[in-house]
Amino acid sequence: MKEFNIVLAGVGGQGTILAAEILGTAAVKDGLNVRVSEIHGMAQRGGAVTSNVRIGENVASPTVIEEQADVLLGFEPLETLRNLRFVSERTLVIISDEKVPPAELAAKNKAYPSMEEIVEKVCSFTKNVAIVETEKLATEVGNILTRNVVLIGALAASGKLPLKKVSLIQALRELVPAKHVETNVRAFNLGYEYTKKKIR
Amino acid sequence: MPDLRVLLKDELNKRVLLLGNEAIVRGILESGISVVTTYPGTPASEIGDTMAEIGKEAGVYMEYSTNEIVAVEVAAGAANCGVRALTAMKHVGLNVAADAVMTLAYVGVKGGYVIVTADDPECYSSQNEQDSRYYALLSNLPCLEPSDPQEAKEMVKAAIEMSEKLGLPVLLRTTTRVNHTRAPVTYGKLQKPNLKGDFVRDLKRMVMIPAFARPQHISLLEKVEKAKEISEQSLFNKIARKGKSEYGIISSSSAYNYAIEAADLLGLDANILKLGMTHPLPEKMIGQFLKVHKKIIIVEELEPILEMQIKAIAKDHAPSTEIHGKMSKQYFSRKGELSTRTVAEGIAEITGKKLSADFQRINKAYAAIASELPARPPILCAGCPHRASFFIIKRVGGEKAVYSTDIGCYALGTAPPLGVGDLLICMGSSISTAQGINRATGRNTIATLGDSTFFHAAIPGLVNAVYNNAKVTLIVLDNVTTAMTGHQPHPGTGITGMGSPAERISIEKIAEACGVKYVGVVNPFKLKEAETALKEALQHDGPSVLVFRAPCTLIDVREKRRKGLKIVPCKIADKCTNCMTCIKLLGCPALIVEAGKARISASLCTGCGLCVAVCPFKAIEGGSD
Repeated sequence: MKEFNIVLAGVGGQGTILAAEILGTAAVKDGLNVRVSEIHGMAQRGGAVTSNVRIGENVASPTVIEEQADVLLGFEPLETLRNLRFVSERTLVIISDEKVPPAELAAKNKAYPSMEEIVEKVCSFTKNVAIVETEKLATEVGNILTRNVVLIGALAASGKLPLKKVSLIQALRELVPAKHVETNVRAFNLGYEYTKKKIR
Repeated sequence: MPDLRVLLKDELNKRVLLLGNEAIVRGILESGISVVTTYPGTPASEIGDTMAEIGKEAGVYMEYSTNEIVAVEVAAGAANCGVRALTAMKHVGLNVAADAVMTLAYVGVKGGYVIVTADDPECYSSQNEQDSRYYALLSNLPCLEPSDPQEAKEMVKAAIEMSEKLGLPVLLRTTTRVNHTRAPVTYGKLQKPNLKGDFVRDLKRMVMIPAFARPQHISLLEKVEKAKEISEQSLFNKIARKGKSEYGIISSSSAYNYAIEAADLLGLDANILKLGMTHPLPEKMIGQFLKVHKKIIIVEELEPILEMQIKAIAKDHAPSTEIHGKMSKQYFSRKGELSTRTVAEGIAEITGKKLSADFQRINKAYAAIASELPARPPILCAGCPHRASFFIIKRVGGEKAVYSTDIGCYALGTAPPLGVGDLLICMGSSISTAQGINRATGRNTIATLGDSTFFHAAIPGLVNAVYNNAKVTLIVLDNVTTAMTGHQPHPGTGITGMGSPAERISIEKIAEACGVKYVGVVNPFKLKEAETALKEALQHDGPSVLVFRAPCTLIDVREKRRKGLKIVPCKIADKCTNCMTCIKLLGCPALIVEAGKARISASLCTGCGLCVAVCPFKAIEGGSD
């Protein structure tokens, strides 16, 4: 592996920063070099946010450039589209079904596009697209706030990630509040199993 | 978030993933720094916040000072008693602190003192993208520029040593991509902080009356010469990569990361000179580098500060060497942040090397998608009391009033549909610009600013309004925290950075003490009361102050959950006519449209009830009031 680039796209408040931190922490556990970049502050207030995770010995820049993403992890369908410039035909795009309608849609009385429309647009860049039903899975876990962790589980199951599953779970245990650890591990595993089944 | 106490571990060579700002804190702990002062500001905030979290356990005193100049002065006092100190701020904070910094350079320090200034190329969370490196040239202070978290930590240590050696404060200039990048950081040894200092009188050095300032200026210039020698020897200034090309690359800070990757992308086998100490520059080292290359490429973010100086060095050392950057021809942009892509494009243009990726084609394909995407700018949260405040302000002031606004979440009120915010410059500017607008137009002028901003910079402006009898209304949007930067305490919250109880300073009493004759306090969610108060304030002949007080919804909801209270979202009843008034007036993210119908997102709604109050058909139920 020369380098492995992940773009995490979502809306402020969806947990993209935590997800990126889990990936970065797992990379350190696996003895790898990594850069995680994120945006804090004003931009976070319900705005579009992206985090980048870059893994690899010679990685210096914390940001991914156009077409260089190995994975685009979409925490929100429209935000996935907003980051398609990082995608090439070899990129895997994983999309959560967590729709957060931007205020502009309501103001213009427009509907949120359907998942079919979203996937169609992604397909003009890459055919490797997977949708993860994080709402259903996080509800099954019993905490709707674990949708970001479900998505990390799904990413781990894709087989693309150069990180050990045990390191990811260990990172997760360290990073979420103590009383929510078991719920989150369950969310990770559910996302993982769900995706494994889907791939089969 | 990990347990930040991981930063306290005395485990040599431990390798941990740290945010740049956390790495700076580890640097603080490895340098024996015992006083840390700050005013929160993105992208520097987590330096103070992390210290607030672990300061007590580490034996380091930290404080959120009222503003950046106060922060510098407190630390400068301590450092002149021989203790080691650090002050952290965002780039524009250094403007506020500049008066102190410029003359502190003359006075100098005894204990090591580092000033961290965090630039924000691309204005991710700022009102400008100034290049703070100019302050190093302006003040004559040494400046270090890390390019990643590990280096940021090492540079805190080096800066403290350098500071003590020279008797000068040292600037540590970071950028968003250093402060907010997480990377593996290897621990060094912890050094016990020593908060016990001693004040020794030294009038000629420390009292900057003209007679003493003149010789101190000479002393400062001598220190700069010494700093130059340090720069020549500094391990932060080095050939980071050797190559065979006729081109040589010089870079610093975040730009270095892009430069090295861009060279790889283009297959440019060039020597790369990485400058970590960028003021004063190592003239001999650079002169030598210029001499051995026919052509030089300078890659730096924002202003061509290295380029200007290196061109001057070239005149003496290597006049025939070509130098490319952003001055005579702009190969790299002076605005925004760079990326590996933009640096590669610049280098390709200079060298004639071919890029493998066709960025124009990518741009075109992406533009087709992007043009159809609804924008998603940051907006006030669902339940934010500022939404209620702006709703009332607009209803009373209408289109005729002029609204000066300020630095904080409430700057988001400028956006439609609230549309309150016509002029925004800097911390505290709203109250003063309002006075000028009123003098020039005679129109109603309403200034809005937050509670933390009030303490930071509004009081002299308010005194001015009273003294010069300006007919302006100041509305303090008091959400009882410093919300935008991550909920830090401030003088009105009754708690210090280290968690001790503090005197709660009253905004309304300050306003009264300033001589404001109309002062009121209301909860903006009580729409009628707030509206009446604002009408009265506008009619008052002279300056008036209203405090719109309601806690930040993020804290309010968190507290309610902690207490086991249920958050009951509002609901739209069947009698809703889909007039969309709520959406059109409020722009609340919890108000959404589904299948052509207005709906309330139960996961986002906090039950604030603002939409209940504005619905003309009383078709929304719920709300706490």
